[in-house]
Amino acid sequence: MEKLKKEAMKRSLEKLINKYSLEKSSILPILNELQDEYGEIGEDLMEELAHSLGIHPTEVEGVYSFYSFLNKKSGKHIIRLCQTISCDLKGKKRLEKQLINELGIKFGETTQDGLFSLEHCNCLGMCDRGPALMVDKKLISRVKPSDIPSIINACKNNNLDEKFEDTIISNVQIKGPLLKGKFEDGEVIKKVIDRNSKDLLSDIEKTNLRGRGGAGFPTFLKWKLAYKQENTPKYIVCNADEGEPGTFKDRYILHKHCSKVIEGMTIASHIIKASKGFIYLRGEYFYLKKIIEKTIESREKNKLLGKNILGMDGFDFDIEIRMGAGAYICGEETALIESLEGSRGEPRNRPPYPIDTGFCDKPTIVNNVETFLDINLIFKNSVEFFKTYGTSKSTGTKFFSISGDCEAEGIYELPFGITIEKLIEKVGAKNIKAVQVGGAAGRCVKAKDFKNRIAFEAVPTGGSIILFNKNRDMLEVAQNFMDFFVDESCGQCTPCREGNRKLSNGLKLMKEGRCSITYLEELLDLAETIKISSKCGLGQSSPNAFISIIENFKDEILGRLPKEESNE
Amino acid sequence: MSECRASKAEKIRLACENKDLACEEELIDITIDGKKLKIKKGTTILEVARSLGIKIPTLCYHEDLCIAGICRICLVEVVGMEILQASCSYSIEMEIEINTHSHKIRKARRHILDLMLANHVGECYSCIRNGNCELQDLAKDYGITEYPFGHPNKNVKPVDCSSMSIVRDMDKCILCRRCVRSCVDLQEVGVFGVKERGDKSYISTFGDRGMEDVICINCGQCVNRCPTGALHEKDQTEEVWRALEDKNKHVVIQTAPAPRAGIGELFGLAPGKSLTLEINTGLKYCGFDKVFDTCFSADLTIIEEGLELLLRLKKNLTEGGDETLPQFTSCSPGWVKYLEHFNPKYTNNLSSSKSPQQMFGSIIKTYYCEKNNIDPKDVVTVALMPCTAKKFEAAREEMCDSGYRDIDYGLTTRELGKMFKEVGLDLPNLEKSQFDDPFGGISGSGVIFGVTGGVMESAIRTIYELVTGKKIESVFDEGKIKVIRGFDKIKYAELIIDKIGEVPKLLRSHFKDFEFLNGVTLKVAVCHGTANAKRVLENIEAGGEFSGCHFIEFMACPGGCLGGGGQPIPTNEEIRKSRAMAIYEEDRDSKIKKSYENPAIVELYENFLTDGPGGDKAHKLLHTKYITRGNTLT
Repeated sequence: MEKLKKEAMKRSLEKLINKYSLEKSSILPILNELQDEYGEIGEDLMEELAHSLGIHPTEVEGVYSFYSFLNKKSGKHIIRLCQTISCDLKGKKRLEKQLINELGIKFGETTQDGLFSLEHCNCLGMCDRGPALMVDKKLISRVKPSDIPSIINACKNNNLDEKFEDTIISNVQIKGPLLKGKFEDGEVIKKVIDRNSKDLLSDIEKTNLRGRGGAGFPTFLKWKLAYKQENTPKYIVCNADEGEPGTFKDRYILHKHCSKVIEGMTIASHIIKASKGFIYLRGEYFYLKKIIEKTIESREKNKLLGKNILGMDGFDFDIEIRMGAGAYICGEETALIESLEGSRGEPRNRPPYPIDTGFCDKPTIVNNVETFLDINLIFKNSVEFFKTYGTSKSTGTKFFSISGDCEAEGIYELPFGITIEKLIEKVGAKNIKAVQVGGAAGRCVKAKDFKNRIAFEAVPTGGSIILFNKNRDMLEVAQNFMDFFVDESCGQCTPCREGNRKLSNGLKLMKEGRCSITYLEELLDLAETIKISSKCGLGQSSPNAFISIIENFKDEILGRLPKEESNE
Repeated sequence: MSECRASKAEKIRLACENKDLACEEELIDITIDGKKLKIKKGTTILEVARSLGIKIPTLCYHEDLCIAGICRICLVEVVGMEILQASCSYSIEMEIEINTHSHKIRKARRHILDLMLANHVGECYSCIRNGNCELQDLAKDYGITEYPFGHPNKNVKPVDCSSMSIVRDMDKCILCRRCVRSCVDLQEVGVFGVKERGDKSYISTFGDRGMEDVICINCGQCVNRCPTGALHEKDQTEEVWRALEDKNKHVVIQTAPAPRAGIGELFGLAPGKSLTLEINTGLKYCGFDKVFDTCFSADLTIIEEGLELLLRLKKNLTEGGDETLPQFTSCSPGWVKYLEHFNPKYTNNLSSSKSPQQMFGSIIKTYYCEKNNIDPKDVVTVALMPCTAKKFEAAREEMCDSGYRDIDYGLTTRELGKMFKEVGLDLPNLEKSQFDDPFGGISGSGVIFGVTGGVMESAIRTIYELVTGKKIESVFDEGKIKVIRGFDKIKYAELIIDKIGEVPKLLRSHFKDFEFLNGVTLKVAVCHGTANAKRVLENIEAGGEFSGCHFIEFMACPGGCLGGGGQPIPTNEEIRKSRAMAIYEEDRDSKIKKSYENPAIVELYENFLTDGPGGDKAHKLLHTKYITRGNTLT
């Protein structure tokens, strides 16, 4: 039996090696497919894959062990429970307990019969429908503890799909210009195809569009720099590795407005003269792959992708979907590029920047899904139209993914500049004491500051808004965020790898009432160091939640400190 | 070495400096610590600081390796940027102002150090790198007197002692990844990799196997670049001390040229001074019965290996034979194992001659024992080598043609330094003493075995003179074959055999005349570091220029033996160059510069290996076989 399986796996590997090119960048797709098919990848296969690609087996193993969805041998069915904050607020712990009770194993273990493995995972992007489970390739949201037995039985009877409907449901609460109105495939490309790059770039410059991923880099500047590069080929990457806890808007956009995104990418290719694009889709959104594939296919048929787009000589653009495999850090653009190249998703040093040394050391632009939607909107309507929304420094609208303690969780398209107060009102939330703006990497805003606006120049966000009412223990919230970073740090640089662990341990000490104020001060100091000394954006923003929660809720947290003695 | 990723400006600067591109270097103004100056665009902040004598601490940075930018200890402030920048990876592309010290920087560095120490298990007293540890140095420089984030002392991870050469103690690892970059990028062997992610990430081997069970060539380049005690050689000094104390044992040692050129560094000397004769005194003080010079067996290697080449050439040039060419040198055990693993089909190209270390062992346990009426079972042969792979080589099963192990213990330069320190010797100030007979003293051709190109140069000196009857000095000034000297990655040379002489007595059993070599252009190549070896092998495979070579010298380590894994730490190109100078000086000052003129060699063939070079006896004792190891583990 074991031998037969091994032989079958070898044959599959050979097929996959033929399917993908003999380049290092094929590693992740190949590993993903093998893992899906067999639930594990043995050392022999890793070695064989390495030899076929002309790299060292340790490099393949390094990649394999980096991604949560590959990583380990597991049971026939893997039950993954989302452990990030929004699901935590909605009863994740109760589900956790129930799963342990039903299966008689702890998380990270596999049942004796090899049927079930229990694992935690980070943000499944179902924050408005928590708590969420991913059972094999089935996403189940709003799970109640009483559902667990039927889930387990459905697994045993292989009828999970029948028993549980698709729950890829998006609660779109407010639509704005990005979502409203009719859109016909290719209509915007037709508008721009005869205009030159400089002209189009100048339009983007006038809109003041800034990247929607969170960092807010001016899109015009990035694209202009890439356009000026003489080195070819150039690449366009759509960053669909939406991993920030509390964000789920890209999931919806790609589900329902995929063609607009691709249209935006195609416009980008026209502007910077790129011939190849990637959509880097997070592994958690595997179910969107087919939808995107279909969209690509249909656009290819309509001459909106491929060679000589709309009959224009030399306007070539192909898009390939690449799947992530459960690594938040791959949302960082250089880590994403490393992942595309078939390496561990570890951020690079900058300089050099992707615009000159990106994918395979070629000029590459990486933009968020939503940014491409904005591009589409700008050229569909006009610069002026776009600028009617938002503030002068933060133009346009923004998708907010809202979850936590409120009545109407879901997706909101609102103009930049809205105050937190107003937002709370719109979502029907009461007794809110804190709002986490920008996910785990963002800041915690306390009630006194709810008058602040959400905009790049005020409180910035990639879209994640999580609300906490007065019953929530902010120390637990901080712990959840820090544990997330300990898990999701790539592990290469000292401050992020070691520092976040210390912050997380510090929170545990506080909870146990064993943390002295002196040590807490030391940790706050350390948190500042992590911010200014880490290699990439993840590390640099990882202590934000820690710092802002401790500073804003000092009274709540300090109450648990021993009055006099210091244990550390 | 595979190319490192660099910024565009840096690439342009390097291309200009290496004259790969005809370009004008662009100068830009910068301010560093208040000082204004012009620098070449694309220079890193660290390079600028070092050129000005500003000391910025580093850990993951190493001159020989691609930039990682991960330890973050080298942070500096670029005015206008909130985030501190890693000076090792920041290449300057525009006018900037840099501060290399400020409260903000000191605090950040201090924190990073605190964090490293919080995850660095063990204390300094019991560490092999005590006194030569980059982390310890930093702790001292930064005045660490307490551990705000803790410092565990109890060992957690088991120490891997399975390898004959290299020990891994992962409790001491600070994840700087120098070993990974040494093994993957510099040597292209690929033993180490990073596994898992986040705070669970760690450095390991394929499938977490022990060092004995992975495809490791034992070159020890990882050891040489490890900033802490996480990687070190297998220490055999205790065994050697025990042998020395044993009255029934006759303990002899041979010393190789490279350790002699390096050992002074362990005693505070600047690199570049050989302490050959001082070592002899020290070894006698420690109790060694005899001290021999590996130069002797290096010369022996040249005779056997040179003859082998001539025989291969003869077959190919006259008899239409298909003897395998180019012939590869076989004295670097790291290289031999590399080939056995990664290109076993080329093992027939390897010279069957043993390395000087093994030849010497074999001769000691036969000829020397006979001559001095000692039972070889009572003899312990020790070899002082710059090399961790020599320990593995000594333990190879096939290396016991005399009926006894050729070499019982291989000591690295560092181990001997430790022994000397243990008995309180101040090596640089010891008096000088000569090597013991009957194997003679320093020979120039033997000495230069310690540097890349040296084996080839020695071979050419001997082959040319034996074949043409002319002096090598008539072709090369002072006999120095400069084209194959120096640290270029791959060196290539041609030499026309413009005249043939009478066959010397030594080779008469093999050749009637050298007519087959008349007018032949001898083509040779030299490379060092297994990444460069890989390039040469790929070139041969593709039928490139190196496939037309007759003889190629391969050394596993960058710079040759002087850059070996057993040499003093640290290493960098500057240090290796200094060691090379010391070695070439020994050659310059030696009386014998050609292997065949070494009187001890002449005597050996006259009195012991009486059927001459390549004869049956020589074959039994001085030649070996290779194994097809392959590159799969599963």
